[in-house]
Formats: sequence, structure tokens, C-alpha cells
Amino acid sequence: MTKRNPLTRICSLLAVAVAVCTAPLSSAWAVTVRGTVKMPDASRSTRLYSGYWRLENGNVPVQTAGGAKAETVVVLENVKGAKSPSARTITITLGGLDARPRLVVAGPGSVIELKNTGNVRHDLSTPETPEVMHLETLKPGDTRRQKFDAIGTYVIRDSEYPHIMISVLILGTQYFSAVDDKGAFSIANVPDGPCNLKVWARGKWVTDQQIDTSSLGKEELTIKVASPRELLKAEQEAKASE
Amino acid sequence: MFLSKIWFILVALAAAIAVTFALIAPRPFERRLAALEGQRLDRAQYAAEQMFKVDAHKWIDHVGKLGRDAILAESLDAASRGSGEDRVIHRTIQDRFRTLIPDLASGGIDSIVAIDTKGRVVARVGDQEKEHGDFMTGAEIIADALRGYLSDDVWGVGGHLQRLAAAPVLSKNRDRIVGAVYVSAETGPALVERLKKNLDVDVALLLRGKVIASSRGPGDLDALPELIAQHTKEIETAKRTVPITMTVGKQDLLVVAAPFPGQAGEQQAYYALIGQHPANSGLRALFENAKSDDLKWGNFHWLPLAAGVFFAIVIGLGLQRREVETPVHRLRRELKKVATGDLQRIDDHNYGGHVGGLARDINAALERFTHAPTQRSDIAGKDLNAILGPSGGSTFDLPSADSAFAGGTPPPAFSPQSSFSPPPPPSASFSAPPLPSFSPPPAPSFAEPQPFSAASLGFGGGGSSSVAAAAEPSHVPLPGATKPSPWGSSAAVPSFDDEKTRQEAAPPDGDATRVVPYDPGEEEEAHFRHIFDDFIAKKRDCGESTVGLTRDKFLQKLRENKANLVAKHNCRTVRFSVYVKDGKAALKATPIRE
Repeated sequence: MTKRNPLTRICSLLAVAVAVCTAPLSSAWAVTVRGTVKMPDASRSTRLYSGYWRLENGNVPVQTAGGAKAETVVVLENVKGAKSPSARTITITLGGLDARPRLVVAGPGSVIELKNTGNVRHDLSTPETPEVMHLETLKPGDTRRQKFDAIGTYVIRDSEYPHIMISVLILGTQYFSAVDDKGAFSIANVPDGPCNLKVWARGKWVTDQQIDTSSLGKEELTIKVASPRELLKAEQEAKASE
Repeated sequence: MFLSKIWFILVALAAAIAVTFALIAPRPFERRLAALEGQRLDRAQYAAEQMFKVDAHKWIDHVGKLGRDAILAESLDAASRGSGEDRVIHRTIQDRFRTLIPDLASGGIDSIVAIDTKGRVVARVGDQEKEHGDFMTGAEIIADALRGYLSDDVWGVGGHLQRLAAAPVLSKNRDRIVGAVYVSAETGPALVERLKKNLDVDVALLLRGKVIASSRGPGDLDALPELIAQHTKEIETAKRTVPITMTVGKQDLLVVAAPFPGQAGEQQAYYALIGQHPANSGLRALFENAKSDDLKWGNFHWLPLAAGVFFAIVIGLGLQRREVETPVHRLRRELKKVATGDLQRIDDHNYGGHVGGLARDINAALERFTHAPTQRSDIAGKDLNAILGPSGGSTFDLPSADSAFAGGTPPPAFSPQSSFSPPPPPSASFSAPPLPSFSPPPAPSFAEPQPFSAASLGFGGGGSSSVAAAAEPSHVPLPGATKPSPWGSSAAVPSFDDEKTRQEAAPPDGDATRVVPYDPGEEEEAHFRHIFDDFIAKKRDCGESTVGLTRDKFLQKLRENKANLVAKHNCRTVRFSVYVKDGKAALKATPIRE
């Protein structure tokens, strides 16, 4: 049996003590933000653009999976110590009159590679920020690469097929999470403090609210997204009250 | 004249009001017609929307029926499961489609497409029917159909609008979805024609800022996309526009636009219903749109109009007669009486307005000619005597033949021809020029003032005989040279040394104002005052200053001048007259011997 140095013993004990003491402290500094995003009824539709009629077949139950919920992401902004995700190259496949994936979250400098695997051409651009990505036809089999340097949100549209809408979110924070089919999300290791919780759905920010993660604890957030009609009504009421 | 003027103003005002009414009256009707046309377009748009809905439902019913077809279900089930040969399945489905819908065109269908559960096209009939195997699962309407929905959509692809309807294809047991089927129809000229026929309005279809089909001529609706783009927000909220006015050439159109549903709505796909704007209400439109029938007896109130015009003319003429013609005729009659000597003056109190003013002016002129004779006025007086007849004496109160004025009165411009030699001039310095033989000159040429014999003119006799006496030859002794005017150059008294000098000194026609005979006492003073007044007036007329020129001083000078001349020429008196020389007022003295 080897005899240990008493000084070493003391140091070990101190280290253990510090570790024991700081363990609850560290858990108080970083929390997991959980919650559910409740989209308006209209957004639950799997369709972006509707015709005159949409009827159930009456024999087989309809499937409601997919739709806008698959393109929804929750982002925490202005979090202390937040860093941008690393730049990367993401490939989006265009085929079968669809784009996969339709939502991309990345850091500045990321490159989006658009690959046309279908047999129709696609006229792609970012109409709201045409200087970033001008209108260009992507023929079947072709690939177009586009770099996104600046933090921001970009929506790539196909002028021939407007339902093809690719959201590119270049963020300055690593705290974000896509929502599942039920609208649930979870963002781990968020430092305590105030921050902005924003929800991106169907090509735009649909809500932006300030939360304080230090007071959340294990509470689950319920983020209710107002429909455009509700927003309009609220605006009118605000104007009327003024 | 006052009432005539008032009447004229009233008639003009009435005409202006009538024209204003004529131009303004159609405007409310024009607005009402425009509103009615707008309402008609609104109803047409509503009808079109309902028609699209019914169409969509019809398509859905079609595809729903197709989706329940057993052969189609079996074929798609096999395709979805991967069992069976693709080519066989493809042909089977195509044949089935052709069996179920033998004539696609009659049903307004462009193509029918069958899709398996993976979104792969298994078979097509109609457009591109040889192609299959491509995937369409990303298309929302297809994805919806595979989820179990029957729905419709409108696409804007390749510059064309397509209406689609899709339905799921259920398995034979109706317990699962084995595929989907959709039909598509191009929404182009055929739809435009149909809408125009049903709604009785022009129709245009727009996609991405271009008119892709229209019932109007090419180029007519070039401005329509921009016009609709200006109402995008309105369309977003109300799903349609209010009636918008659009000008095409010289024609105003009313347009109601509404968006197509589905994803074509994102591609600025609109249908626009176009109506005619009612005719404008301007003068041009009035003339363009008026027909000959509008002027027929039954359609226009000619009688009241004719009666109104007639009464307006009658009243106007009546007022004219009362205020102008009657007074003028009466004045003329009185003037004739004055001319014949029945009246001394016109009774101007009986006249009002301008005619009254004219009567007063005539009276004033008569008064003036009577009391302020001039050389020219002498003639005028004589002329008046000739016109008015004998007035019992000279209009200028000329002295009688045996008066001092007799024989010394200056001749009129038409100097009577002398049948005898003129007597020698009164002094060496005052040589009388030989007078021309008498011949009655035309009236306007009598301006030259010359010394003459009043007796030769017969003024002393007065009346009409004086005119005859004026024709008698007379000898006119001319005075000698006079002293320069004591009032400077402007009032220089010329001397008549010779004919030339006399002619030069003679005032131009119309410049001589009066020649007043010298008469003792007050008459001479009156003469001098007249001269002074005339002199001042002439100086003012010539723009000369009259500062420092007082009546007393002037009269004093005249008296001195007269005395000098009488002494120098041994004449009985001197007559003065005022005339203009070289643009300045000047005095002339004429010695009177007898």
C-alpha cells in the first residue's frame, strides 16, 4: 500500500468539495426551454394555397401529417453568449414538384446547394431579397449553389410552382429547435436571462416574445401563434383604443 | 336703353344657365349609369366566382367518380404495391380513362392523370400522354389527394392557367388509398369565350402581369395589369376590386378584377370583367350621341321653346322700340322743326338716357353756335341758316349791315370772287393780296381765316338772304402787319404782308375758333373774355403752360394792342382770334375799318 502525500489528499478533497458545491450552481445557469407551438387552425392545413373546395373522401380517414408544422422552428435570440452555428453546405433536392428539406437553419457563410432531380425546370430566386439570389432557371439535372453570408432570413421561391418555398435561416444563435408534428420543441442549455423567443413558420416570423429563462424552471411554454385575421383584429382594437 | 340692357343681360344669363343645365344635367345620369354598370360587373363577378366554384365541384365530382372505378383502383393498387408490369398498368389505366371519358374535349378536359401512392405518374390521357413515371407528390393538390382529400386548384405554369381537380383512388374495399387521379383543363380563350357568353361582359385573364386571354382586341388591355397591380391590397382584403375606370383609346371602360384561387393566386392570376363606361356628358359626347329622332316633335318640346324665343324677341324689340327708336324718331322730328325754324331748341326734358344726352348736346351746340361765332362757325351758322331757314339774324350776333362790323367782317374760307379791284391796303406794311375770284368751295375747305367783308356776305341782312349775299363779290382790304405778340412767341400776332404770309399765318382747317366783332362797351369786354378763354383752352390743348397768364393782364394787353392797331391802321376797331401755329396757341388781330 502506497502512502499518499497529505497535501495531495487535501487538494483532492478540495476538488471534490468544489465539484459538489458547483454542481447545483451550474444547473441554475443553463436551462432547457421547452414548450409547444400552437399554430392557428388555418396553418394546420397541409396546403399552402387552397382552391375552392377541399372535401374528405368519406371512406378513409384523411391524414393530417406534414404541412406547415414541418416547416416551423423556434429560435431564441439575444441569448447571452450565443454563437452562430458553423457554416456548412446544405443540399436541397428539387424533385417531384417538391423541395427537400424546405427549412434550413445554418450559420453565416453557409452554402445552399439546389439540385434539380426532377423533370421540370424551376425558376428560383429570393423575391424579397433579390440582391441575394436573383431569378434563375434551374433545368432538370442542374445544380445551383448560393452562399448566404449575412445573418438573416431568406425565402427561396419558385415562380412556376409557388408552393415550393424553401426557408433559409442564417442565425447568430445556436439556440433553436424545429417543432415536431404536435408542435413541441425543446432547446437545451440555454443560459439564464432574458431573451427573445421567435417562431418561424411558412416563410415568416409568426411570433416574437420576450422570455426570461431564469424564471422558467421546468415550466413548459405554450406559444400561441395568432392567425392573420386575429392579428388584424388586434391591430384594429389597438387603434380604436388609441 | 336701360331696360334693353337689362333685358339683354337677362337673356344672356338665361342662355348661360340653359347651356349649363344642358351640360350638367346628364352628369348625374352618367354617374348613375356608371354605378349601375359597376353593379352589373359586381354581379357578373359574383356569378363568375360561383361558376368557377361550380366548375371546380364538377371537376371534383368527375375525379371522385373516376376514383371509385374498380379497374382504376386495382391498377393503381398494383402500381403502388409494385406488383404487375408498369407498361401494362399504364395501358390499362389509359384505356379505362378513354372508356370512361371518350371525348375529353367535350368535357372541357385537357388531361387525366393517374398517380400511385408514391406520387408517381402511372398514366396520362390527353396532354403528354406518352409520358409517365415522373413524380408529383410535391404538388399540394396531389399530396392532398393522397391524404384522402378531394380538392381543386389553379396553376399558372408555362404562361398558361390550368384548373385542376384531384381525388384519392380508394381500394376495392374502400379501406385504404391506393393512389390519386386528377384532371386538368386549360383556362384560356375557351373560358373567356364561355364567360363572355354567359355574363355578357368582356373578360380578360391575367397571369404574372400579362394578359393571357381576352375577349377584346389585342393591345386593348395593355394597361390592365398595371391598373390591377395598383389595387393589390384591395384584392388581398376584399378578394376583388371595386369597378375601376380604364381608358382605352377614346373609350372609357369599367373593370372589376378578382384573383384566381389556389397557387395561381400567388402568381398574380386574375380574371377581369370589363364593361362599357356610359357615354361622357361633354359637348362632344352630346353631339356624338344625339340622334335625329331626339329633335322630332314628339321627343322635344319645340313649341314651348319657340314660344319662349318669340317672347324674348318681342320683349327685346319692344324695349328697343320704346327706348331707342321712338325717342330717336321724335328727336329727328324735332330736329327737322329746328331746321325749318319752327323750333328754337329741342325740348331735351322729354328725352331720357343717351337720346336725352344727345338732345342736350344738340341744344348746347345750337347755343354755342348762336353765342360764340367763329370764322368757321360763321359758315356753320350760315349753313345752319341754310338748313334751318332764316333765324332772324346772325347766329353770332353779328352787327347789322350799317354797324361797325358791316363791311369789315372777314370772309369765309370761300372768299367771294371779287369783280372789282380791291382797295389799297390801309398801310404800306399791310399789303392786301389779290383775292381769288369767287367760286363756292366745298364746305370743308373754309378754314383759312382771312379778313373779309361782312357786308359782302350779307350778314347784316340776316336770314336766308345772307347766304345769297355771301355769293356776291366783295373787296376785302387786308390789314397791315401787326406787332409781335406781347405774350411771347406762343401768342405772336402775325402780320399779313403778303398772301404767302397771310396763308402761312392762317390757321389750319379747324384751328380757328372764333372771330368776334368789336363792339363797344360790354360786348368788347365779352369778346376779350372769349378770346382769353379760347386762348387758355388752346394753350392747354397744345400742352402749353398757362402759369402766370392772368385774365386782367391778358385783357390789358389786348386793349393796348387794339389801341396800337387802331392808331396805326386808322381802323375803327380790331378783331382778335385765337389759332394754333406750329403747335402753339397764337393770337391774330384783324383791323376793321368800317
